Order: sequence, then C-alpha cells, then structure tokens
Amino acid sequence: MTPTIPMADLVAGGLLPLAAINFHTLFFLLFAAIACGAAVAVVAADNVVRMALFLVLSLAATAGLFFLAGAEFVGAMQLMIYVGGTLVLLVFGVMLTAQAPFVTMKSAGGDRLLAGFVGVALLAMLVLAGLSVPAWRQPASGTVPEPTATPLGMALVGVRVDQPPAGQPVDAVRSGYLLPFEIVSVHLLVVLVGAAYLARAKRRKTPRAIEVAASVEPPEAVAEHAAIGRTRAAASVLTGEPS
Amino acid sequence: MANAIEDDPRIIEFDVRTDEMLVNMGPQHPSTHGVLRLVLRTDGEIVSEVEPHIGYLHRCAEKIGENLTHRQWIPYTDRMDYLAAMNMNLGWSLAVEKLMKYEVSEKARHLRVLIAELGRIASHLVGMGAYGLDLGTFSPFLYAFREREKILDLFEEACGARLTYSYITIGGLTADLPPGWLQRCEAFLDQFEPIIQEYHTLLTTNAIFVKRTAGVGVLSRDMAIEYGCSGPVLRGSGVDQDLRRDGEAIYTAMYDGYAFEVAVQKDGHYPRDHEYPAVPAGTVLGDCWHRFFVRMLEVVQSMDLVRQSIDRYSACKGTIGEPLKLAEKMPAGDAYLETECPKGQMGFYLVSDGSAKPWRVRARSSSFSNLAVTPELCRGCLIADVPAVVGSLDIVMGEIDR
Amino acid sequence: MVDFLTSTIGLSGWLAWTLAATVSAVLILNVIAGGALVFIWAERKVSARIQDRLGPTRTGGRFGWLQSLADGIKLLAKEDLMPEGADGMLFRLAPYVSFCASFCAFIALPFAFDVVGQRLNVAVFFVVAVLGLEVFGVILAGYASASKWSLFGAMREAAQVVSYEVPLGMCVVVPVMLAGSMDMVTIAEKQAGWFWNWYVFHDPFTFVIFWVYVTCAVASVNRAPFDLAEAESELVAGFHTEYSGLRWSYFFMAEYGSMFLVSAMAAVLFLGGWNGPIPVATLLGFSEGTGDTAPYLIRLLGLANLVGKASLGVIIMMWIRWTLPRLRIDQVMTTCLKYCTPIAAVMFAGAMLWQIGLPGGLIPGAGRPGGEIREGWLEGPGGRAAAPPAADESRDVARVAP
Repeated sequence: MTPTIPMADLVAGGLLPLAAINFHTLFFLLFAAIACGAAVAVVAADNVVRMALFLVLSLAATAGLFFLAGAEFVGAMQLMIYVGGTLVLLVFGVMLTAQAPFVTMKSAGGDRLLAGFVGVALLAMLVLAGLSVPAWRQPASGTVPEPTATPLGMALVGVRVDQPPAGQPVDAVRSGYLLPFEIVSVHLLVVLVGAAYLARAKRRKTPRAIEVAASVEPPEAVAEHAAIGRTRAAASVLTGEPS
Repeated sequence: MANAIEDDPRIIEFDVRTDEMLVNMGPQHPSTHGVLRLVLRTDGEIVSEVEPHIGYLHRCAEKIGENLTHRQWIPYTDRMDYLAAMNMNLGWSLAVEKLMKYEVSEKARHLRVLIAELGRIASHLVGMGAYGLDLGTFSPFLYAFREREKILDLFEEACGARLTYSYITIGGLTADLPPGWLQRCEAFLDQFEPIIQEYHTLLTTNAIFVKRTAGVGVLSRDMAIEYGCSGPVLRGSGVDQDLRRDGEAIYTAMYDGYAFEVAVQKDGHYPRDHEYPAVPAGTVLGDCWHRFFVRMLEVVQSMDLVRQSIDRYSACKGTIGEPLKLAEKMPAGDAYLETECPKGQMGFYLVSDGSAKPWRVRARSSSFSNLAVTPELCRGCLIADVPAVVGSLDIVMGEIDR
Repeated sequence: MVDFLTSTIGLSGWLAWTLAATVSAVLILNVIAGGALVFIWAERKVSARIQDRLGPTRTGGRFGWLQSLADGIKLLAKEDLMPEGADGMLFRLAPYVSFCASFCAFIALPFAFDVVGQRLNVAVFFVVAVLGLEVFGVILAGYASASKWSLFGAMREAAQVVSYEVPLGMCVVVPVMLAGSMDMVTIAEKQAGWFWNWYVFHDPFTFVIFWVYVTCAVASVNRAPFDLAEAESELVAGFHTEYSGLRWSYFFMAEYGSMFLVSAMAAVLFLGGWNGPIPVATLLGFSEGTGDTAPYLIRLLGLANLVGKASLGVIIMMWIRWTLPRLRIDQVMTTCLKYCTPIAAVMFAGAMLWQIGLPGGLIPGAGRPGGEIREGWLEGPGGRAAAPPAADESRDVARVAP
C-alpha cells in the first residue's frame, strides 16, 4: 500500500530541500518534461531515425505517466502498441527513404510556419478544452481502486463488473464495450486485408518488361530461382534506372 | 512468348519498390572461404546479381614455376589447394611423369592411392565442416576437424608435415611409410566409420539443414557442363564423370584393379554400396544438398579405396623406388594431365624445352570453374543463400588465384 | 520493503521509497550483470563440452570460472571505436536502449513469492511490452553504424521480433487465462503444489502451447536457430558489426538478460514458478505462518527453484545454438506466421474450451479450481458482485500533491 505523503510531514522532517517536492510530483514533472521535450525534438530533428527515437522517447515517457497514475494496463499498452508501431514506421522509413545513410529532411520555411501555426492552434484548443472541465482544475484527491485489468477485460466482452446494478447478478449486465470492441476488430481486419492487398506480389502488366524478361530465357532447372532476379533486372531497364 | 511469360506464376513484381543496395561480401568476410570478394546487388534480402572478384591471393605460382626445377615446384602445388595438398602433389607429379613417360613402382602406385584418398577424406571433412559453418552451425565443423586432425597425424608421421606435405613427388614418394603406420591407419578408419553417421544426423538429414539447402542454388546438368564444373559439383548435378575412372590412361592406371562406384545419382538413386540416408523430399538434383551429399558419399567411398590400397600395398614386395633427382633434365615437349582432386578436375600443363626447368607451367583450377557458376546460381536468391551456394561449391582461393 | 522501512525503521515515506527502489534496482542490475558473467562462462563451457573441447580451464582456477571477468576487463580496456560515417548520438545511445529495455523488464519479474522489484497487476503484459523495446536499440545500432551489414541485421531483427510478438503474446495469454490474472505472482501461486499442478501439464493444449512459447521465446531473444540479426556467416556480425569494447558488451548483457528473462517467464507461466516439482516446504511443514524463519526459508527455496529453472532454460538455448544450423529469413517468417501463430491460436481456443468444459481436469473432484473471477472484491455472496472496492483494498495514488 502506497502511503500518502503529507507535505507537512516532509517539510517538518526538514531532511532536504528536495523534501519540499512530492515524490510523485517529481516523477510526474520528470516524465512530463521528457514527453514534451522529446515531442518538440521530433519536430526539430531532420533525420528520420532520430525523429523516431524522440517519438519513442516521448511515448515511453507518456507510458511512464500512466504507470505513475496507477494505470498499469494502459501504460503497458502504450509501450506495446505505440512503440511497436513506431518501430514498424521506422523500418519502413529506413527501407523506403534511405538512398544513402543519414538523409536529412529539411522542410521549407513556409511549411515550418504553417506547421507551427497549426500546432500552436491545436495546443491552444487542447489547453482550453482541458481547462474547461471543472474537475480537472484542482488537484485530484481521494482513492482509486486497486489497479486491475479485470473490469476492462470483462467490459470488452460485455460485462461491466465494475458497475454492478443493485440486485442483479453480474452476468445479466451485458452492455460494456462489446460493440466498440467488435467494430475496432473488424476495422483492423479491413486494414490487415488492405495491407496484404497492397503488398502482395503481382504480375507486371507492362509488356516491355515481359519481353525483356523473355529474351533472357533462363535454363529450365534454374528458372525458378532466376525468375525473380530477371524480372527485376527487366523492370529496371524499363524504368531507366541504373541496373 | 509474351503470353507464356504473362501466365508464368513464377514471374512476379511488387508494387512497393525499395532501393537497391550494392554490398561487398568479402574479401574479409567469415563465409567467403578465404579472400573471395562477392559484390552483391540486393533489394532488401533478395540478391539480384552476384559478381565474384578474385585475385586477392595471387602469388604468381605459375611464373615462379618457370624459374624452378620440376621437383622444386612441388611445394608450390601444396599451396594451391592447401586443404588437399597431397592430391595437388599427385597431379603435378603425374603430369611430369607423363612428359617423361615414367612409370612408378607398383608399391609406390598403391601408396599414392592410399595417400591421395586419405587426402580426399581430409579435404571433404573441411568442406563438410565449413559448410556447416556457412549455414550457422558450429559444432559439426569441430567434429570434422577432430577427425581431420587424425588424418593429419598420419600424414605427419609419413612425411613430417601437416599441411604442405610435398610427399608425393616426381618418380614416387619422398619416403616409405614408417612401421606400424598401416595399423594406425586402419584403426583410424575403424573408428571413423561410425562417425559418418553422426555427420548425417547433424547435417545431411537435419531438418533445418535440408530446408536451407534443398532446392537452393540448382545447377542444371547442362549448365554444369557448359561452365566446365567438375568434381562433386558436376556429379551433384547428375553428370557421371570421375577421372579416376574416365581420365587419361596414366591416371586411371593408378586405380587399376580398385573397385569403386562413382558417387553420382543414376536412374534416380545413388550407389547402394553402403548404408546412406535417403534423399529427403524437396531436394532437386543439382542443388546444394546434392553437392554436399556427393561429398559425403565420396568420403565413404574413399575409405573403401584406402582399405583396398592398404591390402595391395602390404602385399607388394620391394620398395617404393627412388624419387627423381632435384634437377633432372626433362625431354622437350609438353604434357597436360587432369586428375580428380577433391574439389574437382585439377589440370597441370607444362612445356619443356629440354632443360631442367619448365619453359611454361600452367594450372587449370577446378575451383575457378566451379566458382564461375556463382552468379547464375545466386540470381534471385536470398542473402543467406549466397554463403549456402558458395559453400556448397567448396572452393579454395589458393587454387583459384594460384 | 517500503512497509518495513516505514514501520520498523521509521523512515519517512519518500526516503523509504527511494531506498527501496535503489536497493531493488541495484539487485536487478546485479542479476543481469552477474547473470551475464555466469552465463557467458557457462556458454563457453557448454559449447566446449558439446564440441569435444575443454573450454576455459585456467583463468581463476580449475574451471576457468573467472574467464568472463577477464573478458570483461579486456572489453573495458579495449579501444572505443566508432565508424567515421556513423551517427554519433544514435550509435552511442543504442546499446543503452537495448540494455535498459532488458533491465526494465526485470522490474516486474518475481523471483520468489513477493521477491519482486515491483509487483505489477499486469506484469506479464508489461514484461512482453518492455522486452519488445529491446529491438529498438538494435535497430538504432544497425542504422547508426553506417554499415550495410548492420542495417541488414537491424532490418531482420525488426521484422523478426515484430512478427514473433504475435504468437508470443498468444502463448502468454493462455496461463493468464487459466489463472485469471496477469499478475505473475498470482499465476505462479496458482500452480503451487506438486508438479502436475503446473500449467504445462494442465491440459494437452497448454502442453503444446508451452513448446510454441519456447520457440517464440528463442526467436524473440535472437538465439540460434533464429539469430539472423547477427548471423555471422551472412552478415559478418549483423547489427553489432561496428561495435567493440564496453558498448558491445552492453548488447551482450542485454542478450543474456533477455535469455534469462524469457526462461524465467516460461518458468513462472508454465513450470510452476518458484514452486518446485515436489512441495518440499509444505512437506517439511513450513508455511508463511510458522515461526520467524520459515517465510525466509520458503522464499529462499523458491528463489533457488526459479533461478534453477530459468538457468536450465538458458542452458537449453545454448544447447540448441550449438547443435542446429540457422534458418533463413523467409523460413523464420514462415515458422512464425504459418506455424506458430495458427498453432498458438488453435491451442488458445482449445485451452479456453477445456477450461469451460473440464474446469476440474480429467479426474472429477481432483482438479484445481476453475476459471472463476478471482479478484476478491468482485466475488460476493451467492455469485453476485460484491460491493464496490472497500477502502482497505484500494490504493492511494497521489497523482498530484494536495
């Protein structure tokens, strides 16, 4: 059980000037600073891998904030999904852009200005929206339930165990997040199919590439292995790239 | 024609185009067997083009040969295929003997067979072990070297050297075997025989090994002949040629009376003189697995030959004869002889002007021709297949660059 | 520990917290660093024994047990090199990212009952998520090295780890489902008693999925036969080609740390955690309540049990590494997507159905408790939900200072 740390107690202890800062506040500020600083660094960096690094740092610090708030499940989720997602992003970034190592991406001044404007506008909107919620204006107090993922998991399959209606067995409550869960699942499936469609291997339609490929007929036994290589060579002839 | 290609499901193209990359594999690379340099053009993991660059181990052996006497050049043959130096010695000695029309004594003939076949086992053990390394398994390499060391011990007893022997020489061998050597050799063969099964378990029939080699780097029969491949590479593609049986008279005479079956797949199966594992599903004649398997069969076959030669050698009376003098004048003329070395058909050509030194020396390297098929075999394969293919050719750079 | 520090010694809250955190961190750090030293030595000895060698025999006495330390000193003293074209910041950062990820995952790993850095409610999920971060360091290393081989290694690792997370996640979910909790302490406690209580023997599906987990775990920590990211015969040394000295050793420590971690995970999730095959403590009459020393003894026994099981897992990984050839990248992906994932999915469904159909196991009445909702506060009289969490079971999370 985490003890509450009354500030007066710490100050009275007079151990360190640091004692003036609450333990949780300290880490909250630390994580928040990392998250914000890294987010700014993402924008400022001009190398795709460094951007990814800062993005991961920012997201990981956000996960740290979740852990700090006792939302361990969301924190782990944040790590798994966002960091994993950034990883894939990074791989694609490197594979599709890196003609030579360490390409830099410089954006034009106008773009920066525009992006800056949009960013500041968004930030302002979020801050205003946040401040407009009365409950968020003062520091939170009180207790939260022992953090457990069970209610969330049960709610996803349609049982709100955390809000049992009076006088009814738990099983009878079938609202939960089942519908959103299913919608998201189907959505993800569609995305998966779409990705598979885009990345699938298909035959070249352009006739010339086929002719070039055909003119260099591979010997029977090695045809299978040579086919891929030859078509690629033919394709680069077609597109005029150095082969 | 265009339609045929259009309907060919093997020819594919992807929408997402990625950038190609030129990669240097070697000359300093763990799996290029020495100082071979391969330039790979890759698209992701797929290799579209491989270009071998050679010459990093060139030591002017042929030119040096013009300034040495015939016997003095034998140590240079040691350093060609340094993994099978005995067979190199033999090739050069026989070529010179062919020029001289010299015939060695019966005892020396059998001893030469004995030594050459032991050398073949030693060479194939390295080829086998190193192939395991190429595929990422380390232990078979050491198991192979453990046995090879025992052969080298025998060689050391016979000639004093463990790597560059210069044992077989023009006119015979430098020395006869020490007493007790034959018993030790037989003891080695007896303990080595069951170990072959171990190699089959660890490599030949291992599921991952088969997956990595079956259908990879398929060398068609025609292409193998066109490129002048030889040895296990040629036989792995199903071409029934072994110079010990099909070679020139002076070479095949050495194997007169020896019973052996060429390790090649005929009518869909390999020779059945011993217990061999069955050919696994998925393999294609001419792929890396078959090249490897032919080598494994040749090890067993060479063991048979060694046993036969031990019997014949010990039945022979007399001596192995005197080797030729260090600087003996040769008759004018030229001679070319190819022998069946572990790596393939190694040819030596010499032109003599009648002096004690050759006027011109030339070596035809089997590894050179075998390496030449690499670009064909590696087209369209994955990066991991490149070491698998190059390793299955079992090349030695010392022989290619000379 | 915090309770102890606050109640017994009387430290103020934040100091107790800081102290407890430091002690835990130092302990875990030593587990990884010390573990790496031991495992590197073990790897040398195991591989040597597998390969008919002796391994280190001199450093530190008879068994060469100080070899890793000597290696460490050598690595410390090595010149710190960075390729000229490398991205300095990323190059320097990468090893620490890898190491930190491996280290962080240990936070949630219980070594015995209540011997855990931080008992997390979602420990299993946390460990899997954090372990996935390790690959990030590898990618950074591969990219920042300005070497094509490193880049290949990094791309392979990324593809492999991202893919294997899917079946690994599915495997991990099965014990979570059986225990009804993602808390590793709870999961292990549910398997207390004799070894047939272990989840690996829970039903046929869990038995199969345990082996799927082993495969995926080996793949996700990049050990042979899935060590494609550092495949020495193809990619020289993969992502750490350009690393040397201490930075390289961080990668090494991360690797061994992860190996231990996934083995310990296997032990906790499937092999009863710190509960031995025979409940020695129970048989001897120890329990949490008996005396002052009994709880310590129980924990010590549990610690030995878990570390023993995890070390056994690591040694099995070594055994595999020194026996099998390496798979090719497409085969690794095939193994994951065509075999591991569907098998894991089917086994997951099977285990679920088993849990519904035969909650007590095959023998009626002899089984273990079924999969009811186990959170105490959810269980009320008559199968109804209890009142919302009582105050004593909730935790104050001082989000913002009052």
